[in-house]
Amino acid sequence: MRRYLTLYWYFLLQRFKILLEYRANFMIGASSTIILQIAGLLTIWVVMGQIPDLNGWGFDEVLLVYGLITLAKSINHMFADNLWTIGWSYVRSGQFDRFLVRPIDPLFHLLADRFCHDGIGNFLVGAALVAKSTASLGIAWTPFNALYLAVAVLSGGAIFIALNLITATSVFWITESIPVTQVIFNTHEFAQYPLTIYHRGIQILLTWVLPYGLASFYPASFLLGREVGALAWLSPVVALALLVIAFRVWLFGLRHYSGTGS
Amino acid sequence: MPIIQAENLSKVFRIPHKDPGVAGAFKAVLRPRFEDKVAVNGISFSVEPGEIVGYIGVNGAGKSTTIKMLTGILMPTRGNVQVLGRDPHRQRVANARDIGVVFGQRSQLWWDLAFIESLNLVAKIYEVPPARYKQLLDQFAETLELGELLRVPIRNMSLGQKMRAELAATLIHAPRIVYLDEPTIGLDLIVKERIREFIKQQNRAAGTTVILTTHDLGDIEELCPRVIIIDAGALIYDGPISTIKARFGKYREITFETLGDASACAVPPGAEIVGAEPRKLTLRFDRTLTTASQVAQAVMNAIEVKDFSLAEPDLASVIKQIYGGALREPVTP
Ligand SMILES: Nc1ncnc2c1ncn2[C@@H]1O[C@H](COP(=O)(O)OP(=O)(O)O)[C@@H](O)[C@H]1O
Ligand SMILES: [Mg+2]
Repeated sequence: MRRYLTLYWYFLLQRFKILLEYRANFMIGASSTIILQIAGLLTIWVVMGQIPDLNGWGFDEVLLVYGLITLAKSINHMFADNLWTIGWSYVRSGQFDRFLVRPIDPLFHLLADRFCHDGIGNFLVGAALVAKSTASLGIAWTPFNALYLAVAVLSGGAIFIALNLITATSVFWITESIPVTQVIFNTHEFAQYPLTIYHRGIQILLTWVLPYGLASFYPASFLLGREVGALAWLSPVVALALLVIAFRVWLFGLRHYSGTGS
Repeated sequence: MPIIQAENLSKVFRIPHKDPGVAGAFKAVLRPRFEDKVAVNGISFSVEPGEIVGYIGVNGAGKSTTIKMLTGILMPTRGNVQVLGRDPHRQRVANARDIGVVFGQRSQLWWDLAFIESLNLVAKIYEVPPARYKQLLDQFAETLELGELLRVPIRNMSLGQKMRAELAATLIHAPRIVYLDEPTIGLDLIVKERIREFIKQQNRAAGTTVILTTHDLGDIEELCPRVIIIDAGALIYDGPISTIKARFGKYREITFETLGDASACAVPPGAEIVGAEPRKLTLRFDRTLTTASQVAQAVMNAIEVKDFSLAEPDLASVIKQIYGGALREPVTP
């Protein structure tokens, strides 16, 4: 564990050396996500300008939900973006073979190989949204609340990563996993808003099947004092379970790895 | 004790079969059909520590697939392989510490990083002790002439520089076995020569076992006392290079420099003319039908010979004969 942490740190250092060399690239990458985020936020702002509340949720409350999922997503974006590109940049090019002849875990190698700086922009936007909404809503930053938020965000990040890991595993059969990942990943957009605005089926989907709701709606509800029962506490448990399942699926897929023909 | 032992090693790829068009795509999803592609077919061999073995065959013969099974990247469909007493696929991480792999044109180094940074990272991954790292780096820098390359990112290197960097990175953890899959492909002669020299030296000094696949017969002639030849996934020869030369090189070429007119000479039995100039005659003879001295004597009796030389068959023509079907059943050396 210690060895992997030091190694990760070392990979990260090298990565930043490259990024510093391409400074312009770095700035564009990190800020392009901010611009994309602003577009998304404008939508909320326009919609909420028309109606005083969204099914009983005020503007700042919606922002909190949106901010939390943005933070969770940014963790996935920064630390696990290679789960998106595994097909074309590793499996099809034959680079994945290299991971299999190195004395470290190939999944670790894959993730450590590219810290994605574009996610930093998302992280900053998410943090700003959470800061703004908690301030407006008068949610105090007590040690308890801070800890709760941190756990919620990390669990949310883990849920994103686990689901992407499961869909990325399809690469071992179809050599390009992006379409599969895309379909599952996109459902997280529902969880950018309070789940109560949706049909019951979608609520169940986002709570129990693709539990993106546990990264946003449920922790936000808890912080706002809205009753969601045990679901307020379920994020870390579900995240952990999902990580274990995803890793098993990944290992199963890895056994089917047959490389490329070239 | 063999360091590598392959027994009846086979790899079958299941390739999804698709009919063209939308209907075909639907059918492929609803009722997937597969075609089996036998890439490696029941190969057995063993390698002793310190050997350099050339693994040769035409494109698509199954060389890379074999290497991938030996290195633990692919699981064999049938048969088994033991490397240093381990199953390289099941015990992949343990195996990885003891091996180094070069895949022809595919670099293991980070494209944008200065070479030395890449090398540092590789050394960290393999947990090479700092003192040893420094010592090996100095040694490689000298033999591979890496000095001025250390600060250059891989993306700015020529093919030859890249391969030298690649070799250094592959051997920096002092692996006991190195697998080189077409290491000299596309390189010019001088770089090839340096790389061969480096491989030889690693083998001699550190006792590194080397498995080398190549198209380049120069690599084989200079490096590999032993070759394994495969064709269509099956082993067709395993033994000393000298044996195939002797067995398949049944022709010899003999060239005479003459004082008189060379065309005046009658062709001795068992030989044929390959080249004739006024003062130079080149004959090819079948060693199973006649001998060098018989041919030479016949020529010398006819005309005055100033000098003559005998040429070994070159490996290229031998290999061509083997692929051409000269080898119906496997030979035992
Ligand atoms: N991952 C793969 N999937 C399907 N077919 C493959 C794969 N890898 C190799 N092959 C096929 O197996 C045969 C042997 O390939 P390979 O081992 O790469 O040959 P070589 O290295 O001798 O050129 C070829 O016909 C190749 O197309
Ligand atoms: Mg090959």
